[in-house]
Amino acid sequence: MEDGLVKKLEDNTKRIFENMNVKSSYSEITKGKIRSIEPPIIIIPKKQQDSETTKKQVEQKIKPAEISVAVTKIKSAGHASKAHSQYFEEAMNQAIANVAALPGIVGKSIGLPDIHSGYGFAIGNMAAFDMNDPLSVVSPGGVGFDINCGVRLLRTNLYEKDVAPVKENLAQSLFDHIPVGVGSKGIIPMNAKDLEEALEMGMDWSLREGHSWAEDKEHCEEYGRMLNADPAKVSMRAKKRGLPQLGTLGAGNHYVEIQVVDEIFDKWAAAKMGIEEKGQVCVMIHSGSRGFGHQVATDALVEMEKAMKRDKIETNDRQLACARINSKEGQDYLKSMAAAANFAWVNRSSMTFLTRQAFAKQFGMAPDDLDMHVIYDVSHNIAKIEEHIVDGRHKTLLVHRKGSTRAFPPHHPLIPVDYQLTGQPVLIGGTMGTCSYVLTGTLQGMIETFGSTCHGAGRALSRAKSRRNIEYKDVLQKLKDMDIAIRVASPKLVMEEAPESYKNVTDVVDTCHAAGISKKAIKLRPIAVIKG
Amino acid sequence: MSFTAEELELAPKKYEYLDHTADVQLHSWGDTLKEAFEQCGISMFGYMTELESIEIKQCEEIEATGDDLEGLLFHFLDELLFLFSCDPFLICSKLVITQFETGEEFRIKCKCYGEEFQIGKHPQGTEVKAITYSAMHIVNEPDKRKELFVIIDI
Repeated sequence: MEDGLVKKLEDNTKRIFENMNVKSSYSEITKGKIRSIEPPIIIIPKKQQDSETTKKQVEQKIKPAEISVAVTKIKSAGHASKAHSQYFEEAMNQAIANVAALPGIVGKSIGLPDIHSGYGFAIGNMAAFDMNDPLSVVSPGGVGFDINCGVRLLRTNLYEKDVAPVKENLAQSLFDHIPVGVGSKGIIPMNAKDLEEALEMGMDWSLREGHSWAEDKEHCEEYGRMLNADPAKVSMRAKKRGLPQLGTLGAGNHYVEIQVVDEIFDKWAAAKMGIEEKGQVCVMIHSGSRGFGHQVATDALVEMEKAMKRDKIETNDRQLACARINSKEGQDYLKSMAAAANFAWVNRSSMTFLTRQAFAKQFGMAPDDLDMHVIYDVSHNIAKIEEHIVDGRHKTLLVHRKGSTRAFPPHHPLIPVDYQLTGQPVLIGGTMGTCSYVLTGTLQGMIETFGSTCHGAGRALSRAKSRRNIEYKDVLQKLKDMDIAIRVASPKLVMEEAPESYKNVTDVVDTCHAAGISKKAIKLRPIAVIKG
Repeated sequence: MSFTAEELELAPKKYEYLDHTADVQLHSWGDTLKEAFEQCGISMFGYMTELESIEIKQCEEIEATGDDLEGLLFHFLDELLFLFSCDPFLICSKLVITQFETGEEFRIKCKCYGEEFQIGKHPQGTEVKAITYSAMHIVNEPDKRKELFVIIDI
C-alpha cells in the first residue's frame, strides 16, 4: 500500500511540474514581444522610495519612457480610434507610474494584460507594500470603490440538455429571485444589529442564518471572513447605504450567468473542481460590496486626505490618497475594508442561496441533490496582508489588487485542502455573451507577480462611446442569435457592457497562460445572463 | 406636500456626458457657480434614470461643506448620492441651492425636489458607485462661463 501511495504522490508532483510548463522567467518571455506588439505594463521603480525621494519624483514628474517595462498590452477592440487608445495608454502609464512612486512599494507596480485606466491605480494594477517599513502606505485607490468585488462559481450535476428546454423559465426565475439594477433592495430581512453581525462574521453569519452551506466557506478566499474586520470603524453613512442593499446584485458589469463547460484544458484540475465533462452546467455570480463598500472607500479617501497633509505625503494624483499602514487612518481603513469584504461575501452568499432556490424550484430537487457546491470564490478588488519571498528574503507585504485576482500555486498554505495539488482556482468573468475561464495559480505567478493574475476582459471603449457606437437592439439580437437567454433591468444600457466594449477575454487569458502566471483549466460559455 | 408652479419648473439642460474608459465624466456649466453645481447634480441623477419619469412630490434639504471648491463639489455630489442610496431613496429632477458660501468657509445648502425611486415607474439606468476627485476640474474665472468636470465611478 505504501508503494502505491508514494507512486501516486510522485505522479501527482510530476504532473504539477509538467503542467506548470515553466519555460523561462515571465519577463524573459514577454521581453521580446514588447517592440513587436504594443507597449508597457510592468513598471519597476528606479529604486525603493522613501518620502524624500518620492517628493523629488513628484517634482520631476515621472517619465514613463524611463521606466522599465514588461508584458505586452492586448490590442484594444475594433472600434477604438487611435487617438482614443493613445489617450488610454498615456493615462494608464501615468497611473502605473504614480503608483510606482508611492512610499514603501516593494518590487514593481504591475499592470496585468486586462489593464484599463481607472483613477489612482489603473484597473488591472497590483502593488505590494512592505509591512515592516514604517513609511509604507495603504491606498483605498489601490483597492477600488467596490471593495471585494469578486466572482463565485457554483457547479451543478446538470447538463446543457437538461437545462436547454427550461432555459428561459430558469433565467426569468433567477431574475425574479435576485434583486438587480439601480435602486433595487435586498429581500433578506435585516436590521441594524444583523448588519453589525454580518460585517463582523462574514460568511459565518450566512452559515448561522442558514443562507450558506458549511462547505461553501471552505472554497472561499480567507474562508469568507476577514478576522480583522471592525464594524465600529465603519461610518453610520456606510451602514445606512449598505443595509437596504445586502443581497442585491447591483448594476454595471455585475451579473449572474448560467454557463456550460465549453472546453476542458486540464482534466485533472477540472475533476478536482467537480467538473467532469463538456456541457456541464455552472452558475457564475459577479458582484461586490454594493453601496456599503463604495461609502467605506469614499470615507477613507476623505479621511486620508487630511492624514496626508499631516504626514506630508504627496502623491501625483488627488485620487491616489493614501496613509501610512501603521497610522490611525491606515489601520481604520484596513479594518473597515475588511468589514466591507465580509459584506461582499455575505452578499454573494445571499445570492448563492437565491440561485439554489431558483434551481431547486425549477427542477423539483433539493440544491443538495443538484450538487450545487461552490467551486471557488475570488476577490478582485482587495488589499491583503500576505507572506512573500522578495529577492530571496521572506517578507510580510500588504498586497493591493485592483482588478487583479489572487492566484496562489499548489501547496500554498492559504488555499483549501481540495486544491492543494492543483493550485488555487482563479475565476475570470467574461462580458455578456463572451466566455469565462477558470485558471489555476502557478509558482511562476507567485514569484513574478506576487501570486496575481488578470481578473476579466478590461474595458476597451468608454461607456459614452459604446452608447454612441452600438445599438442596444443589436446587442440583444446578437445574444438571441447566439441562443443566450437574457434578463436585464436596464436594457437600453446593455451596449455599455457589450462584448465590443471590452478587450477579448480569451486574449487576456492566453497572455497570462503564456506568461505562466496562471494556467488555463476550464472554459465556460454563457447560456443565460441576468444583469442590472 | 404641494409645490408652487415655480418650484415645479425644471431648469434647462446645461450638462453633457463625456468619454472616460470605465466611468463617465460629467460636464456641466452655468452663468454662476451655483447654477453649474445644480446642473452637475441633476446630470448625475440623469445617469441613474430618465429624468422625465420623475414627478416632484417631495422636497429634502441637504447641506455640504468642504475645505476648498473641489472638496465642496465632491461632498455636494456625495450628499446627493446618499439621499438616493438610502432612506428617503430620493431621485431628483430639480435642485435649488439656497446658500452658497465660498471664501472663509465652503458651504452649500440645497433643496432637492423629486420622489422616492420606484422600480417599474423609473427606468433603471446605471448605478453610481461614488464620486471621484480624479481629473476634477472647475473653471471659475470672472466674466466667463463657469464649468465643472467630475468623473463618477459606475
